[in-house]
Amino acid sequence: MMRVLTLALAWALALTGCAQPPTDKLAASEKAVNEARSAGAPNYMAEDFAKLEGMLTNAKNEIAAQDSKFAPMRDYGKAEQLLTSAQADAGRVAAEANKKKEEAKAAALQAQQAAQEAVKTAQASVAKAPAGKERAALEAIKADTQTLANSLNDVQGAIDAGDYLAAQAKAKAIQEKGHAIASEVQRALAKVGTAKKGKVAKK
Amino acid sequence: MARALPTRSVLTRCAIAAGLIAVALSLPGCVQQAPPELLQAVENLDRHLLSVQGAEFAPEEYARFIERWVAVKARLQSEDDVIRWPWEANGLVADLLKVEEEGRQAALVAAERREAERLQTLAWLTAVERRLRTLGSRVEEMGSRLILGEKLIETELLVKQGRSFFEQGRFSRSGPVLDEAARLLDDQIALLNAELGRYADERMVDTWRRKVRRTVAWSKRHQAPAIVVSKADRSLTLYHNGGVVASYPVQLGYNGILEKRYQGDGATPEGQYRVLKKRDRRQTQFYRALLLDYPNAEDRQRFRLARNAGIIPVGATIGGQIEIHGLDHRAVSQTLGCIMLENRWIDVLFDSVDVGTPVTIVGAVKRSNSVALALAALDQPEEEEDVAFADSTSDEG
Repeated sequence: MMRVLTLALAWALALTGCAQPPTDKLAASEKAVNEARSAGAPNYMAEDFAKLEGMLTNAKNEIAAQDSKFAPMRDYGKAEQLLTSAQADAGRVAAEANKKKEEAKAAALQAQQAAQEAVKTAQASVAKAPAGKERAALEAIKADTQTLANSLNDVQGAIDAGDYLAAQAKAKAIQEKGHAIASEVQRALAKVGTAKKGKVAKK
Repeated sequence: MARALPTRSVLTRCAIAAGLIAVALSLPGCVQQAPPELLQAVENLDRHLLSVQGAEFAPEEYARFIERWVAVKARLQSEDDVIRWPWEANGLVADLLKVEEEGRQAALVAAERREAERLQTLAWLTAVERRLRTLGSRVEEMGSRLILGEKLIETELLVKQGRSFFEQGRFSRSGPVLDEAARLLDDQIALLNAELGRYADERMVDTWRRKVRRTVAWSKRHQAPAIVVSKADRSLTLYHNGGVVASYPVQLGYNGILEKRYQGDGATPEGQYRVLKKRDRRQTQFYRALLLDYPNAEDRQRFRLARNAGIIPVGATIGGQIEIHGLDHRAVSQTLGCIMLENRWIDVLFDSVDVGTPVTIVGAVKRSNSVALALAALDQPEEEEDVAFADSTSDEG
């Protein structure tokens, strides 16, 4: 009788001693990583965010590996360490991502303004384009300028969507092209000016 | 004389002193600390792995490193104040060395793969930029810029964005933008082939050549002048008695390379016409002009078919007033579909022809015309382009 009681006691002790998966820690870490994602970490702290996701995945894999073991043999210590680390890093990554996102937003807005000014300059140049400029070239320049003006909507769209890197890249491209168009027209105007001077001299 | 043996108390004092010395000597080794330089090396590796995007480029190796590193860091924290005897093994150092080794391995793999990705993206970027340059220059040669509408500049903007992302090391963002640019380039080449493919169509060119031959034969037969305009060559040739008198460079409508479909499309018509009227100074705003009998019956038939097929805008009209004319500086920009020459050449032409003189306008007179060559070049990598051009110049149709 005593032997049976002893075995039952040992079994009960063994059961109560079985490790439990760190469900709460996992949920908290996932929440922290999601918050970092919402803060724009995949775009603005891409490497750190990838590391976070890696840690979370590692932890999940470790939990799954332990879950598949015989109950008394389970040890979730490693998973817990990973989750603790991920959760702690996620806060820092989210804060830095927010900061970088704000910086990128400011840069995008600045680039947008520069692009708008470049398009306006190009439009003004096209309006002054010399009549002697080839019709085909003039029509092409007009069409290009219109396309640039339309593309400014894409910049605004990217800003609205919070993709400040894309907004900045597009705005810079528009600005460059706007300057190129304005320069082309200026060169044509300069040629016309030279030609007119030449005509006067012949008189 | 026998030496005096040390007393018991002296021996005890010596033993205590020796013990104290031993304890003092062993104390620094009892606190389980990782060597700072080793710890620093692993931390540096961790940072380096971030910069080489370890998680993206060596996910498995990086995962192993992180797993061990996190575990070691946790141990460092939890065993910070644990004191061990010097003879106890210090597993932390061994573990840190393992972490360092795994970190180095991950960094190596990530750096290699990242460099491979960088080179691959650079190759793609260079190829797309080259295609864009080729398209731009060929389109200029063909005078077909307007056919492409917004697409050419949209592509240019995308390529600039692709380069911008590449220079920031954001290869994963550069790739899709360049893919989109490449797709637009394909679309534009397809559009150019659809609109201008007839210049590369040998049967079409042969048809044009037959029309030219008939015109020249008419000139010979009637001992009279005749005019032939080749749109691809941007040239006007004056014949008399079947022989070439002179050839002049011309400008076409702003979409002149296209086949005229309706009024205002900027295209120059193709067909066999006659001079309907000679407009001298003060009778035209273009210095001197030869009015053609566009639209003729063939043009009207083509217009009807196009309208019925819905390929021209609703309400569009067929147009008219197609002339061969001179220019003045104000009117240059108003060339909508005519053929324009310098005034000194229109003077010669005006005095050489009469009302009724045949005027044949064709796309091209050679199979290896400039448009056909430019279209062929668009389908070939740049390295092969020059060869293609050199080869095709000998292909006189």
